[in-house]
Amino acid sequence: MADWLEKLKSDFILNFVEDNRWMNITRGLKNTVIITIFAAIIGVILGLTVAAIRTTYDKNRETMKKNGGIGYWVMTFLNNVCKIYLSIFRGTPVVVQLMIMFYIIFASSTHGVMVAIISFGINSGAYVAEIFRGGIMSIDNGQFEAGRSLGFNYLQTMIFVVLPQVFKNILPTLLNEFIALLKETSVAGYVGVTDLTRGGYIIRGVTFSAFMPLVGIAIIYYVMVMLLTHLVSRIERRLKKSER
Amino acid sequence: MNGNALIQVRGLKKHYNDGAVRALDGIDTDIKKGEVVVIIGPSGSGKSTFLRSLNLLELPTEGSIVFDGEDIAAKHVNINKHRQKMGMVFQHFNLFPNMTILRNMTIAPTKLLKIPKEEAEKTARDLLKRVGLEDRADAYPSQLSGGQKQRIAIVRALCMKPEVLLFDEPTSALDPEMVGEVLDVMKTLAKTGMTMVVVTHEMGFAREVGSRVIFMADGVIVEEGTPSEIFDSPKSDRLKGFLAKVL
Repeated sequence: MADWLEKLKSDFILNFVEDNRWMNITRGLKNTVIITIFAAIIGVILGLTVAAIRTTYDKNRETMKKNGGIGYWVMTFLNNVCKIYLSIFRGTPVVVQLMIMFYIIFASSTHGVMVAIISFGINSGAYVAEIFRGGIMSIDNGQFEAGRSLGFNYLQTMIFVVLPQVFKNILPTLLNEFIALLKETSVAGYVGVTDLTRGGYIIRGVTFSAFMPLVGIAIIYYVMVMLLTHLVSRIERRLKKSER
Repeated sequence: MNGNALIQVRGLKKHYNDGAVRALDGIDTDIKKGEVVVIIGPSGSGKSTFLRSLNLLELPTEGSIVFDGEDIAAKHVNINKHRQKMGMVFQHFNLFPNMTILRNMTIAPTKLLKIPKEEAEKTARDLLKRVGLEDRADAYPSQLSGGQKQRIAIVRALCMKPEVLLFDEPTSALDPEMVGEVLDVMKTLAKTGMTMVVVTHEMGFAREVGSRVIFMADGVIVEEGTPSEIFDSPKSDRLKGFLAKVL
């Protein structure tokens, strides 16, 4: 057997097999997956809410102002809160947000994974909100008018007419946001959360060999991203078909 | 209120930019049951704005629109209830592209009037038959021609059993050879006694089907009367000039 192959094999054994070091990888992978999934759920809920508030405000400002009352001021206030949220969370690096969450806001918490989920969820929500908002705004106003003219109220028009079209249009973009989120969670190690990246990093610290653990986790990320990308393109093809 | 006025419009105004632009500048008219009111006029005359005000797709700045005994232009009116009885047909059809034709027609009756699905579908299929499109029930809007889409849009509005149908330039976006099929459906509808308000450039339709023609310019009603009064003996210079251009 060639020398380099032999070297690769002993390197592999040193980094992953000895002392069950592979467990750093699996434990990290588990956390990465958990953080990504739950952050994505928070992101979608938050994003949809923010997008709903902002588009409702934009589309009904005139009516609400005419009818007067508290509703208009409540919506104006909520709209501004949403704007500030979007501006802050899209205007600062996610690592900084994560550290502020971990060392300031949740300083007393020992649940690193939980804090990471909340941080990435809130951050992702800002991007998802703009994806949803863009999706809603891209629907022809005639669709709103047709829904309203049939007698649906604003919310019913949204739910029955507009949002199904929005979901269809933005699904690929939304899944791409989840892929970005998956990769972004690799900074969780900054606050001591043992994610996949951190797992590889820990092995490197013990074995003093960089190649095997780092390339190893890179491959794992790559495979996950490729699987998701494949899923996105399959969904895209399906959606195109139903449009014929 | 006038006994047989279905919609009573008084002093209707729509201003933009604090009155700098006056799309509607005081409209008074009654739309009676069974009437086919055709609104004509040059572009920018406010005729579409007027029509869209009738179901509050445009919010009036001033004035009243009494429909079913209630001023729907007033504050805090549940306009959705009234819109169920005021069908609207748009220039660009506005069918829901993600639903089949049948679903386009049944979604509002089933969700809003709580009509059972089977019953709503039966009504829809009957209506489709009347416009000769019963075989397209399961098609999607993108598979239809413009004329077919507009006929579907008309029967979609009819599924809600409205008291009045508003048409906003229903044939303006159609290829010339498809205008006829849509006008035919509208003529048939007029014969059944449906109250219709139609904004159109089709003078032939206005003359043949209209029970009253309203000529608008600069946000006001300049002249109104029977088709023969309007087309054969126009009084104002504005109307004469307009007819000279379009006829």
